[in-house]
Amino acid sequence: MNEMKQLLSRIFRNAPQSKEDAKQRLKILLIHDQVDLTPAQLEAMQEEITAVIQKYVEIDRENTEVRLERGENRIALISSVPVRRVIERGAVPA
Amino acid sequence: MSECIVITSGKGGVGKTTTTANLGVALALQGATVAVVDADIGLRNLDVILGLENRIVYDLVHVIEGECRLKQALIRDKRVEGLFLLPAAQTRDKNAVTPGQMRELVQKLKAEFDYVLIDCPAGIEQGFKNAVTGADRAVIVTTPEVSAIRDADRIIGMVEAAELPEPTLIINRYRSKMVQRGDMMNKEDILEILAIPLLGMVPDHEEIIISANRGIPVSFNDESIVGEAYRRIGRRMAGEPDVPELDFSDGGGLWTTFKRWVGLQPAQEVAS
Repeated sequence: MNEMKQLLSRIFRNAPQSKEDAKQRLKILLIHDQVDLTPAQLEAMQEEITAVIQKYVEIDRENTEVRLERGENRIALISSVPVRRVIERGAVPA
Repeated sequence: MSECIVITSGKGGVGKTTTTANLGVALALQGATVAVVDADIGLRNLDVILGLENRIVYDLVHVIEGECRLKQALIRDKRVEGLFLLPAAQTRDKNAVTPGQMRELVQKLKAEFDYVLIDCPAGIEQGFKNAVTGADRAVIVTTPEVSAIRDADRIIGMVEAAELPEPTLIINRYRSKMVQRGDMMNKEDILEILAIPLLGMVPDHEEIIISANRGIPVSFNDESIVGEAYRRIGRRMAGEPDVPELDFSDGGGLWTTFKRWVGLQPAQEVAS
């Protein structure tokens, strides 16, 4: 009975599949295991990187993302920073 | 040509010992001579899974310390030609054996048998190092769970660091119905994350517990789908890499589910 209920709730409420949670958590976990960087450290790094970028351009902080990704034989730092506008043309921050 | 294969996982409780026992049986049923070695010193269990616990006189540590000859410690499985168990010591700890002694022991076994299968203890400490040191290659056992896959990834790195060739993977306790409804990672998900070749999959099934209760590995059972899964893995290990994977999805249909509701279908099939 339980099985059927779960199935129906999936169909009608479009509940997410738990295996996707497992996969996403694993991918992040394995990267952190490998580079030995805690989520807190990664967040601090993201803060610093965006602070530097903000000296030059105005960015959409809400949609800024910094993450580590595992490829074939390497780990890459992937950063996506939507730029709103350049702060001042030609200006060099101190 | 003789080969030593270590069965390892990192995490405990994923089925290393059951896998070792069943692959030993599967290879022996094909006509090979096999020694299964319990490297889990202090927590031996391979003897129990094989149902040979009452026949132990000497163990691996006795052999290494020269208290008996290798042949005296090897227990012959009378159910199949060519299968022998070298049990672990139960009253000693992992430090009773050094990697050098283990390598020497494996060399002696390889001179006598086609296959030497080593049941590795859980963890990444001395016991793991002892189990891996004499091996020619490794088979990693995992289950479709976050914790088991995480540890498997760690162990793959350590196997490579030990300069063994790329290990192969057994996915244990696979539940087709959970996979079908998206509540369990499927074969492709796991292979994408661990990125090593698949050796085979074993379904989660009541028969495993029943066979452990009786001390008769399920690979001896011709009619069992789990036994067949292990026998196929055995064939792939013995040089038939293209033996097809079984389809475990039987019995998951609505009709079967309905029959189970009304009591027409015993719940004795692949677990959901």
